Amino acid sequence: MITLKDIKKSYFIGERELPILKGIDLSIKAGELVILMGVSGSGKTTLMNIIGLLDKQTEGEYFFMGKSVNGMDDESLAMFRNEHIGFVFQHFFLLPYLNAIENVLIPIIYSKKNIRHPRDKARQLLARFGLAERIHNKPSQLSGGEQQRVAIARALINDPDLILADEPTGALDSKTGNEIMELFSILNNDGKTVIVVTHDPKLAQFGKRLVRIEDGIISEDTAN
Amino acid sequence: MGSSLKILQIKEFLEETFKILFYYRARVVFSLSGVALGILSICVIITTIDGANKKAYEIFEALGPDSIMIFSGSERQRMARERVITLTYRDAESIERVEGIYDITKTYSVRGLIMRYRDRKWQTNVIGSTENYFDAYKWNLYMGTVFKRDDVLNVEPVCVIGYKVYDELFRGEEAVGKTMVIGRLHTRVIGVLEEKGGAAGGPHIDDRVVMPLSTVTSKLANEKRYVGALRVKTTRDVDATIEDIKMVLRKNHGIKGEQDDFTVRSSRDMLQFMSVISGSLFLFLGTASVVALVVSGFVLANLFYLTIQERKKDIGIRRAYGASKKGILLSFLFESVFITFLGGISGIILNLLLQGIFERLFDIPMEFSFKVVVFALLFSCLTGTLSGLKPALKASRIEPIEAIRG
Repeated sequence: MITLKDIKKSYFIGERELPILKGIDLSIKAGELVILMGVSGSGKTTLMNIIGLLDKQTEGEYFFMGKSVNGMDDESLAMFRNEHIGFVFQHFFLLPYLNAIENVLIPIIYSKKNIRHPRDKARQLLARFGLAERIHNKPSQLSGGEQQRVAIARALINDPDLILADEPTGALDSKTGNEIMELFSILNNDGKTVIVVTHDPKLAQFGKRLVRIEDGIISEDTAN
Repeated sequence: MGSSLKILQIKEFLEETFKILFYYRARVVFSLSGVALGILSICVIITTIDGANKKAYEIFEALGPDSIMIFSGSERQRMARERVITLTYRDAESIERVEGIYDITKTYSVRGLIMRYRDRKWQTNVIGSTENYFDAYKWNLYMGTVFKRDDVLNVEPVCVIGYKVYDELFRGEEAVGKTMVIGRLHTRVIGVLEEKGGAAGGPHIDDRVVMPLSTVTSKLANEKRYVGALRVKTTRDVDATIEDIKMVLRKNHGIKGEQDDFTVRSSRDMLQFMSVISGSLFLFLGTASVVALVVSGFVLANLFYLTIQERKKDIGIRRAYGASKKGILLSFLFESVFITFLGGISGIILNLLLQGIFERLFDIPMEFSFKVVVFALLFSCLTGTLSGLKPALKASRIEPIEAIRG
């Protein structure tokens, strides 16, 4: 599904180079559930941004489904993200003025895919996540766990190839967090490729594969 | 299939825009009312100028294109509102003999006379004229009749009153046959003129009393020699006739090369004069309303700027989910133009609502037209684009990773 070859990323503060990623080689196949673990400052968020095509590497090559995505312009990157990647974030990032179903439909606005009956699909996804009664509620009327499930439904609406979750349990209590992780497992069992980025060692048990990143390099890569 | 998806996307986008506007409604109402007021002032200007022009044309039409007006005093003296009286009955007789002239209306007006009816008082101008006055100004009657040639010859104390005077003194009651006192002269009201409505800035057309010229000059003014103003019609070329009239008057007044002590104008000159007034009015009021619009544009831009910070995450999530920089730019610009467009429509509606009130309050005729709608919407969209551009650019430059962080 994705292949990273010797990915390096540095930030420049004036003349000084601040290396964040120091050569990452990583290959993830379709149908995997990968936990990308690292402490704060390890470079895991930067790596996630690069995988999610939200940021560009300084050096190295990135192939997404066999296609090189290096040097794509803003417009094509945006389209590529829309087509292939579903994002889930720590703080959910639902739009406050839209209700649950409308939030789920956001990727459709920018989509070129022919999703049949997106509204019905959104309703089904929400129902599947136990939110059938909540589809017309605004985010402020939903609990944290409910909001995150709406966000996951949003990540799925456009049939992405990859679900990229950044600390998806970080803003939730551990019970709700576990429920969310169970949900990712279920989605993975249905065939979705999922990458969960976290600092929380307790989440390691939910993955099929654990990739640990330390100080800008991969220090551990084990299958569960 | 593809087009139905497109329609759904546009529908979702519009629905979302409405929801965003509703969510930030305080800001929207604020910006919208600013734009609405700016647009309203533009609408008022255009309708007022159109109204003034229409009125001017009406007067032109009423006077007829073959009319010539002759006043006492030089052009400069008239501008300075200096009251001089130089035209005599002898002048009138000489002018009547000028080739092509076929209709002459003499007037003599006395200003600021007090008139009484029962316990009511009103002060206005009395115009003494000949019986052809009413035909010359194409003025119809609201009730009663006008005075005849015999009334002028017999110095009858009768009067025809303007609608304003009727309203002030008789307040809707029967006026014909009643006696009112003008100065110290008891006069019988024989007719009431139809209401004409005022012209922008000018004196009230309906606020006048018309009496036989002889009655005014002998009983109100004690004037035997001079006549106030003359209005003639010609069968010849207007400009050529004007030159002839000037020559006759210069001869009568013994003017050789010095400045004329009279003014001769054609009805076309009068029309031009009024157009000049509306031209400078346009410049002045136009500047004022553009300033109003610019200020409201700034308000809009600033409020917009403030919300961008608030909506950073919103932008980030959209970018992550497939919105390009251009897409963000366009959606923010659309929002801004949409607000000002609504402001423009509100301005037009306000203008329509206030039109009647303005006309009654300030006595200015207003002429609403399709042109007003086009101008208003054009200006409002322009304001929206200009004031929304910078904030929208800023929004589009927000990178998803910086927006999503934290």
